[in-house]
Amino acid sequence: MIRQKIIAAGLLAALACLPGLAQAQQAAPPAWAIGREGSGMAATLAPHAPRLTVTPRDQLPLAAIRLPPGFHAEIYAHGIPGARMMAEGPNGTVFVGTRTIGRVYAITRNADGTTRTRTLLQGLTQPNGIAVLNGSLYVIAINKVLRFDNIEQNLDNPGSGVDMTAAFGLPPEEHHGWKFLALGPDGRLYTNVGVPCNICDFNRDTHALLVSFKPDGSDRRIEARGVRNSVGMDHHPVTGELWATNNGRDWAGNDIPNDTLVRVRRSGEDHGFPYCVGNWADPGAPAQRNCSEFQQPAALLGPHVAALGMRFYDGTMFPEAYRNQIFIARRGSWNRERLNGYDVMVAKLDGQGNVTGIEPFLQGFRDEANNRFLGRPVDVQVMRDGSLLVAEEQYGAVYRITWRQ
Amino acid sequence: MTRVWLLAAALCAAALPAAAQDAIRGAALAEARGCGGCHGPAGRSAVELVPSLAGQPAEFITLQMILLREGLRQAPPMNQLAQGLEDQQVEDLAAYYASLPAGPAEDRAARDAALYARGQALSAQMNCGVCHLPDFSGRNQIPHLAGQREDFLRHTLAQYRDSQRRGTDTNMNAVMYNVPDDAIAALAHFMAQQ
Repeated sequence: MIRQKIIAAGLLAALACLPGLAQAQQAAPPAWAIGREGSGMAATLAPHAPRLTVTPRDQLPLAAIRLPPGFHAEIYAHGIPGARMMAEGPNGTVFVGTRTIGRVYAITRNADGTTRTRTLLQGLTQPNGIAVLNGSLYVIAINKVLRFDNIEQNLDNPGSGVDMTAAFGLPPEEHHGWKFLALGPDGRLYTNVGVPCNICDFNRDTHALLVSFKPDGSDRRIEARGVRNSVGMDHHPVTGELWATNNGRDWAGNDIPNDTLVRVRRSGEDHGFPYCVGNWADPGAPAQRNCSEFQQPAALLGPHVAALGMRFYDGTMFPEAYRNQIFIARRGSWNRERLNGYDVMVAKLDGQGNVTGIEPFLQGFRDEANNRFLGRPVDVQVMRDGSLLVAEEQYGAVYRITWRQ
Repeated sequence: MTRVWLLAAALCAAALPAAAQDAIRGAALAEARGCGGCHGPAGRSAVELVPSLAGQPAEFITLQMILLREGLRQAPPMNQLAQGLEDQQVEDLAAYYASLPAGPAEDRAARDAALYARGQALSAQMNCGVCHLPDFSGRNQIPHLAGQREDFLRHTLAQYRDSQRRGTDTNMNAVMYNVPDDAIAALAHFMAQQ
């Protein structure tokens, strides 16, 4: 730790000697320079890349999946590299967004129960945000919002869509600029604007937000501030409250900070980033603030787990105990020496909406003995029949979870 | 040289594991497609702005070929050349180039001691070796930088800075944010001289 402080000090001293870089530092410090000091973490941690080529069905880790008694997993669709966020159309088409490979897929069901997957759109920059509203597919890529009307009647020829980018006016930054898109019970579209760095000084009116819009892109409303990077949200089926997952920052240590579950009781409240996560004041923040100024997380979801897609269970297939509980996909850590996450958890809520526990649901992708992983769940989707789809990004597959007495 | 390697590889193909089988198919495909015309017969480029591929991690080559095929990374004429390649063919090409020994191109310029020293200092400050590993040999989706063409490295680092290129994630864009041309030149020289 002392050595790293010396290196950090040396960096600053060296930068002062380099006119060009010193100027750049003053303008906006690059992400790598901030918040890394003193973490004591291994020097070779790096993000994991998803496989972007097709993984054959017989190589998928179906046999490794473990679920509570009575639940069963099957492969719903495969051969869909980079599969991430899901949305279901009125006719049952499951749309799947991606990041790196730039595609949106459409999965339909054949008469015999098997599925067919089309590559619906391609060549987009991180089209991660997708939702279906009134038969139209909304796709949000980096700084691009597209709407495809009557999409389920046009799966073989979706066209280029209606470009609504200007109406939404989202920031153009690519880092943490990928979106999650959710429909509100009020007919509005809900999404996130992540912070374009690990931790830095940024405009708190334009970044680290949850925001909502009318479907035409007008009437932007800030739903929550100080949310570092949410890539998952849903509304409580009974109360209509907005809940969201939120990713904690990197390089603060193996066990700090936690990813969090955010409950938005009133629009516009401040949830603390970059100053606090719960009662932990981040020493890497641009200023030190009293954490009691901010909304507290509804739950801590684990350090570096990458808690992403989340849905309230509003189906009837699963036992009654799951009704109105939250399924949360944890894609899994990179900025931690021991792997964490790589699973689907359930947040248990009581009648007042207080989280009483976070319990494992889908497990088996994290290989503790070898500190490696077999899959990365990124999103969950409750189908109309009450089954639960789980999108797995690493090998490009969607699993379907059912329950039988 | 390539033919001798191919012959030797073909002779013991039956006893080789899957990755080596991929490399044998990839060698034939690279020959048929004339990849070596630009990237060098041994995967070490002698052409300005064309990268050496020998010894690159297979995962890195695969991901980049997919980005080129899908039009997500613009690098003519590679976008056109990548059209129609099946996933397995991409993986075969990647396995082949990953199997070749890395090394500098024959036309590598002499070392400039001052530029090298500055590049070395910058690399340490910017933590290049954290992801690319301390010897800059790369891993998984992260490329081998040691001995890469200096002109290509200079061009690529500027592209990352200027948001004209991205990797499988956006980390290199964040790393290169606001880095000036003279610092890029020093970094490129240092890596090329490894």
